[in-house]
Amino acid sequence: MSSMALRQRVNAALFLGPACLLLFFFFIAPVVVDVFVAFTDMGRTLRINELTTANFERMFTRDHRLGQTLVITFMYVLGTLAIFNVTFGLILALVTTQVPDRIGGFFRSVWLLPRMSPSVIYALLWAWVIDPNERGLLNQILMHTIGIGPVDLMNDHPLLLIIVANGFIGASMGMIIFTSAIRSIPQHLFYAAAADGAGRLAIVRHITLPAIRWPLSFITVYQTLSLLVSFEYIWLITDGGPFYDTTVYALYVYKRAFENGQYAYGAALALILVVIGIALALLMWRFFDMKRLLQEPRIEVH
Amino acid sequence: MKLRTLLAASALALAAVGVAAPVASAEEVVLKLWSRADRSGPLRAGNILAAAEQLNRMLEAAGSDVRVKIDLFENNAKGYDADALDLLKAFAVEKGPDLYVAAHEWIGAFVEAGYAWNLEEHIKNNPEFYSDMIPALWKAVEYKGQRYGIPQDTEVRMFFYNKDMLRKIGKSEEFIEGLPGMVERGEFTIYDLTDLAKEVVDAGVAKYGLVHRPNVGPDFQMVLASFGFDPYDEAKGKLQASRKALNAYFDWLKYSVDAGVIPSNMTSWSWDSVHAAFRTEQTAFLKHHGIWNVPPQMKARGYKSGEEYFQHIGWLHSPPAEKGGRPANLSHPIIYVVAPQSPHRELAAMLIALASQPYLNTRHAITTGHLPIKYSQLGLPEFRSEGWMLIAGAPMLKYTTFMPNHARVGQFNAIIYKGIQAVETGRLDPKSATDFVLDELAGEIGDEVIILD
Repeated sequence: MSSMALRQRVNAALFLGPACLLLFFFFIAPVVVDVFVAFTDMGRTLRINELTTANFERMFTRDHRLGQTLVITFMYVLGTLAIFNVTFGLILALVTTQVPDRIGGFFRSVWLLPRMSPSVIYALLWAWVIDPNERGLLNQILMHTIGIGPVDLMNDHPLLLIIVANGFIGASMGMIIFTSAIRSIPQHLFYAAAADGAGRLAIVRHITLPAIRWPLSFITVYQTLSLLVSFEYIWLITDGGPFYDTTVYALYVYKRAFENGQYAYGAALALILVVIGIALALLMWRFFDMKRLLQEPRIEVH
Repeated sequence: MKLRTLLAASALALAAVGVAAPVASAEEVVLKLWSRADRSGPLRAGNILAAAEQLNRMLEAAGSDVRVKIDLFENNAKGYDADALDLLKAFAVEKGPDLYVAAHEWIGAFVEAGYAWNLEEHIKNNPEFYSDMIPALWKAVEYKGQRYGIPQDTEVRMFFYNKDMLRKIGKSEEFIEGLPGMVERGEFTIYDLTDLAKEVVDAGVAKYGLVHRPNVGPDFQMVLASFGFDPYDEAKGKLQASRKALNAYFDWLKYSVDAGVIPSNMTSWSWDSVHAAFRTEQTAFLKHHGIWNVPPQMKARGYKSGEEYFQHIGWLHSPPAEKGGRPANLSHPIIYVVAPQSPHRELAAMLIALASQPYLNTRHAITTGHLPIKYSQLGLPEFRSEGWMLIAGAPMLKYTTFMPNHARVGQFNAIIYKGIQAVETGRLDPKSATDFVLDELAGEIGDEVIILD
């Protein structure tokens, strides 16, 4: 082997090694462990007595909550994505780049606040805001300003509540990516459009949106997958309730596994989530033609 | 007795650590203690530390160089169920403690997994420490007829009622003061209680008739007991659920929600709101919870004495569902357990014996509003001056029930709570909720639960 080839290999190991190790230990190994545990009877004492398919049998024949949980997950992911993470993130990016920079920067920082606050504190604030009797902040505002209420979001519109609570955080991610994408659109395009007499909305429609098509696809794919597996805020704010109304699939897995100590059954349920995640990722990869996105820069850089 | 006690403890402790006095060099025996970090009972672990100090003083007096050190781990778990699951995991990876604090209903799970030491011998050999334990409490540490723990404290859970509100709707003092007696004699049913609460609400004196905890917990079991729901088949060692009793309970729940007595969104309240509704804002007529609520109630309303307290607030068992029935309340003891794997298990058991003496246990009882574990505590001066409510509460233990010492009871309770939430919020009617609960119990707990009628 020539010294050149050796050096190339060493370099490859040096540069890719850490990432590969990380990928193996934190992404591949857990899936392998999960597959194994899913076929055991591991319970609270972490002991394995036998290898079995009982978990899958239970999942497909006796778990009556599973279907409802999948429907709720679908509505939650779609709702959060459509209202906040993409649409609202885009609106924020468009508006804050249209106003003077200092004001835009200020509003972007405000929208970053929920993401920066610790999740438990954020959830506590929500608990105080939506407390269903007159002690809740929302009810105090509604009752003393508009004169309506008290309202009970948690009981009457639980799904809306978790969509809003998650959306307030999720919107900022899209906002940042879209803002930087809008900033990288060459200024001369805007000047030319303005000279041709295009209005603001026309500029957004014919210049900005086509230019940020790829970041839009990226945010949609990324946020779909991340919403599918995240449940932290739902767990803290509604605990999946009332009843099962906000129990999304990932939370359902967590509760079965860790609140009841049915680790093997939880692993089997989680396996389905892995499958759904992979299927969705592949589907969207095709749908948004992500291959092209990753091949060459889609935004002109000068 | 004191001297004998001390000598017995010292001798056993010395024997346990395998050191015969006199000893040549200093030796430290370290015991790992696991306790849940719990503001409502810091002395559960604290008393073991105090017992170790006591023992060290004895060892010093005996001229021994051996010292006992407690390595305390306070687990920051959400509740006792979460704590027990963590503890089981710790044992599974051989990081378990020598002794630990647990909620009594978990004893079955620990015994089955091999993490609880049979204490029958220890208890029999140490009558100096255990002979005046309140007998009903031993039941809480029993699993299949053997005792695997030592009761650490207990409490009583009941209905609190606001006497001033009854006065405002024109009830006589005789009725107000006689209510607990009527409940005990089975003359006043739980439906009568809902109707009374409705009267109070309809008169505009209270906004809510009855408030209860907004999360899973043992309290609901006493109300279920009013309907004849017995969650445990002791002979078979299995959980059980009666369709008829559960349905009857859910019927009452719906009746109370429809009457405007229980708020339909009760399960989405915050704890703060629940407490405030009864304690400070006084918008609720009834609340079911536990006796440890008394000190905060006194503080919030500025009551100075027991007499003043009982002028305004009364206690009821959960009334029977039908006339002539038996009322019920619930007691939820916390217990000490020793790990059989521990090389120092005899010493750990002796430390528990020392920590369970009247003086130390009373410190815990009166500072946190928990009932005593021994009759002798009732005679202590501290108890007489500061423990009036505990003395008042102790007779209620006559009608008490315990949670089953079954490994799956945490899950059992969580499923029933989902049913309660479904009925209260109107998501399911009583019959569907009963079906839902029984279906979930069968699916989740399987062979370990028997479904009756």
